[in-house]
Formats: sequence, structure tokens, C-alpha cells
Amino acid sequence: MIFFDNILQGFQVAFQPTNILFCGIGVLVGTLVGVLPGIGPAGAMALLLPATFQFSSTSTLILLAGIYYGVQYGGSTTSILINIPGEASSVMTCIDGYQMARNGRAGPALAIAAWGSFIAGTIANIGLMFVAAPLANAALSLGPPEYFALMCTGLIIVTYLAQGSVVKAIMMALVGIILGSIGLDLISGMPRFTLGINELTDGIGIIPLVMGLFGVSEILENLEGNLKRDIFKPRVRNLWPSAKDWLQARWAIVRGTVIGFILGILPGGGAVIATFVAYSVEKKISKEPERFGKGAIEGVASPESANNAAAGSSLIPLLALGIPPNPIMAIFFSALLIHGIQPGPLLIKEHADLFWGLVASLYLGNGLLLILNLPLIGMWVKVLEIPYKLLFPLILLFCLIGAYSINNVVFDLYVMIFFGVMGWVMRKFGYEAAPLVLAYVLGPMLETALRQSLLISGGSFLIFFTRPISAISLGVAFLLLLSNLLPYFKKQRMQYDQVKE
Amino acid sequence: MKLYDQASSLFWLLASISVITESLRLGVGTLHNPGMGFMTFSASGILGILSLSIFVRASLQKEIVKREPLFSGGMWRRVFCVLLALTVYSSAMPVLGYLISTFVLMTVLFWVLEKKKPGLVFASALLSTLITYFVFSKWLNCQFPDGLFGL
Repeated sequence: MIFFDNILQGFQVAFQPTNILFCGIGVLVGTLVGVLPGIGPAGAMALLLPATFQFSSTSTLILLAGIYYGVQYGGSTTSILINIPGEASSVMTCIDGYQMARNGRAGPALAIAAWGSFIAGTIANIGLMFVAAPLANAALSLGPPEYFALMCTGLIIVTYLAQGSVVKAIMMALVGIILGSIGLDLISGMPRFTLGINELTDGIGIIPLVMGLFGVSEILENLEGNLKRDIFKPRVRNLWPSAKDWLQARWAIVRGTVIGFILGILPGGGAVIATFVAYSVEKKISKEPERFGKGAIEGVASPESANNAAAGSSLIPLLALGIPPNPIMAIFFSALLIHGIQPGPLLIKEHADLFWGLVASLYLGNGLLLILNLPLIGMWVKVLEIPYKLLFPLILLFCLIGAYSINNVVFDLYVMIFFGVMGWVMRKFGYEAAPLVLAYVLGPMLETALRQSLLISGGSFLIFFTRPISAISLGVAFLLLLSNLLPYFKKQRMQYDQVKE
Repeated sequence: MKLYDQASSLFWLLASISVITESLRLGVGTLHNPGMGFMTFSASGILGILSLSIFVRASLQKEIVKREPLFSGGMWRRVFCVLLALTVYSSAMPVLGYLISTFVLMTVLFWVLEKKKPGLVFASALLSTLITYFVFSKWLNCQFPDGLFGL
């Protein structure tokens, strides 16, 4: 009964006029960000966060969740219509989505992407309701060693899934930990690594950091290239998949949802990797794999379902354990802290209205997104035609306002510019920003958990291996690290065989 | 990538050495009672080792593909222009106030990519400045600096 009371309470919170408005703004901005390459969900969330200070924490989270969801929907539009993924989580949709559009089937492609997203998002919400609360209860028995091990595993998975060099990704995670330690020491209260700058006593703000690494660096990179896009203008009609389309896509949606949901929960997982796995699985088990890459509807349904399911389930580790599993959730984490809420296992109990209100708003957001993305598809196609030379000054201005308005200090603007340049140079040298941001947020928690664990154990690292959860978690992390050496051994073996022959 | 990997790994190696030095100054403590510099010392130690490994691997590698220049063409001038504008804006905003400094910045940014008609550039800059001012300052209560002229 309590469960149903909570759900009812959640809908009462979500259907308050302010929260409906925030949900609407969130999904609208999210779709816009998804459609327009150049700012990304992390940047958009960071931008709107300062504007929410005068509103409640529930409204703020509803807005941020709307953006995150909206981006997953909007990203598919550009992938299908112009073969440019609005977001990294829509890369796989390009492969078959664009081919469908080329074959005159842009309508069914957009429709199955939207319906797949809607179904997956709804199922993920149901999963979130059933999994988060019991997990939070179980997490109450976890101590600092378990938290340390889980966070380490999360960081290792993020680096393992890096698109480039794993070593470089680990290096970025370490840089993130070091940057996260700037400011007052959590235990002694003394300043460290502040270089004598007063503004650094509170540490580097996450908003200027994210704005710089994701927003400004992306703009700088785009400014170097050719800014003119070739837009293929397909005729978008029949925005309803045929019975045959539904039959072909139905299991792809189910599989995409399951894969996305599981990978979203895992620390280090998220929407991007879920789409890659979902697409690969779909192609592998298909009876006609040769259709993939030529406009197979399953190739659109599966990744689109996966990214929405992952978006929903990645809220689970954050809300139940207080551990953000990816950089986007790190922004959520910061938003909670800014609003005076400590993320962790007690969050669901102590802020039931926030949790259940957020869950209910996800249903509302999903419904709104379906309306935004199908009947209003023409509007998003028009948005794609806005020239970049007009967009980039506005995006930069929004970044500046977002970074400044957090603390109303100019120093944050310098921080944003610094990290913008750093992110731009990092891209050139093949270093990724995602592990840095996640480690930056997890760093202080990781340090506290490590120091507490060592204090408990009297300085023995064995504490991490004598407790089952931390031992298993660190074991998985170690195996993942070890698996990076496999290609090296394989290469050595091949060279040895060649010499032998 | 050989030269880029060598250069970047050297940079991170130097960074890790400076963090190690500072961590030691702060106090690493003991395993029983870790100090303020314990975590950063460990992190920068591993960072240093990994940087060194990248440097060695890059040095031993044969460059097969011809290296592409980091700053191709003349487009990097745009980037430099934008960065200079942003830095000047950050310094000027507390003095000149939000409205004037943002108007100047937007004029420069709209002009950077394409030499458009001055009227169009000024109109776009003015419109974007005023809209953001009213939305963020008046509606969302963000506190922008007024500057010397009270604008």
C-alpha cells in the first residue's frame, strides 16, 4: 500500500503547475539541444542550473531529467535526417536511420525512434520505481570500503569504455581526482592546492568546469572546421510505422530496453555504450544481418530504445547509492548538493516527495516528448537549418551567463575559459573529458571513503578484500584493467607464430 | 601521434611531479592516519608512471602515418580571436557592466565568422544582449554587474 501511496504522492508533485512547466521546458530544451550539435546535455544542464536556484529541488531535478530525456529523443532526428548525430548516444541510429530516410522512409524511422524511446523510457521508469527503493535500503548496510570499491569500479568502467586510449582515459580520471581535491580538505579543513587564490578555497566549480570542457571546447573545435552543413531534405510523411514495421521492430525494442536498462545501472555505463551494445546484439542475432546498414528498422528501434532505457536507469545508482554513474549524473549530483540535499541511501526516505515526484515526472516527460517529436517534427527540421555562425555566439553567451550566475564571480568565467582551452587541446591530443569530470565529482567522496576505510582497518588495505561486495567489485575492476592487455598478448602471439613459420 | 604523445605525456609528467611535491609539503601521513596529501600523492604518482609509459611507448614507436598539423589552415585565428574576446569580456564586465560588455562581445562574435553588414551585426548583438538581460536578470533574478555607468 505504501508503494501505491508513494506513486500517488509522486503524481501529485509532478502535476503541480510549476513542475509541469519545468518538465515542459526541460524536454523542449533537451530536444533542442539534441537536435543542435554543439552544446550537449551536460552543458545544457549546467547552463540552466543557476536559473533554478529560486525554485525547489524537485522542480530543478524535473527540469534536468527532462533535458536528459529530451536529448535522447532529439538526437535521433539529426541522425535520421542529416546523418549527423546530435549526441554521442545517437551515433548508432545514423547507420540505418539515415538509410531509411534516403529510401524515402524518414517518417517510419522517426516514428519508430520516438515510439521505441517512449516504450523503453516508460519501462525504465517502472524499473526505477521497483529497483531504487530496495537498493537504497540495502545500501544502508554498505560502509566506506564498499563505497570506495564501487566508485573505483565505476571509474575503471568509464576509462575502459573510452573511445580512445585506455591509459589516457585513466590519466584523465587521475587528473579529475587531483582537481577535485582543490579547496578545503574534507577532514582537516585546511586549504590545499589553492595557489593562494581565495576563490579556489571552495574548490573549482563543476559548472564552469563542465561548460569549459564540453561547451566551449566543442565550439572552439567547430570554429576550426568547415561550418557549412549539407542538409539532405527528405520528405517526412507517414509518421506512423506500418504493421510490418512494428512486427520487425517489436523484439528489437524489447532487447534494446533490457540492454539499456542493465547498462544504465552499472557504474560507468550510460546511454552511449548501451546503444553500441544494443545495435551489435541486434545485428548478431538477426536472421538477415545483411539488411543492417541499408535501412533496417531494427537498427533504429534498438539503439533508440537502449539510450532511453539507460537514461532512466542511470538515475538508480545516483538516487539509491549517491554514486553518479556517468558525467551527466554528476551534474544531477551537484544540483542536489547545491539545493542542500545529500545524495545517498537516505535520499528516498528523507525526500520521498522529490524521488517520487521525479519518477512521476518521467512519465509526464515521456508523453510530452512523444507529442514534441512526432507532430512537431517539421519544426525541428527547420531548427536544423539555423546557420552555425548565428548559433555559436549565442551558445557561448549562454555558457558565460551559466558560469557567472552560479556564484556571481568573474573568476568562474576565467575557470570556464581555462577549461575550454584545456578541453580543446585535450581533444587534439586524444584525451577524453568524460573520465575527468566523473572523477572530479567522485574524487572527494573517494578520498573520504579511502581515508575512513584505512582508519577503520588501522592502515590495512586488506579491508577492501575481506568484505565480499568490495572484493567482488574491485575484482571486476581488476579484470577489466587486465583485459586491456589481451590485444597486446594476442599481437605478440601472432608475431611469434609468424617468426616460427 | 608520436610527437603529440611525447609532448602531452611530458606535460602530464611535469604536472604530476609538481603535485607530488605539493602533496609531500601538505603531508602524506601514514596508512593508519592518511594526511591531506595522501590521495593526491597516490593519484599523481600513478599519473606520473602512466605519463612515463606513454612517453616511452611513443618514443619506441615508428611513425607510419604522416603527422597532421595540430592547427590546420588559418582557422585557428578564429579560435584565437574568440578566446581573446572572451578573456577581455571577463575582465571588462565588472567595469563596464553586463549590457555594454555583452553588446561589444556579441558584436565581435557575430562578426568573427563572416563579415556581415554592420547594421545586421549590431542589431543581432543588441537583440541577444537585451533578451538575455531581461530573461536572466529580470525574470530569473541573476545578478549581473552594473559597472561604472550603472548599466
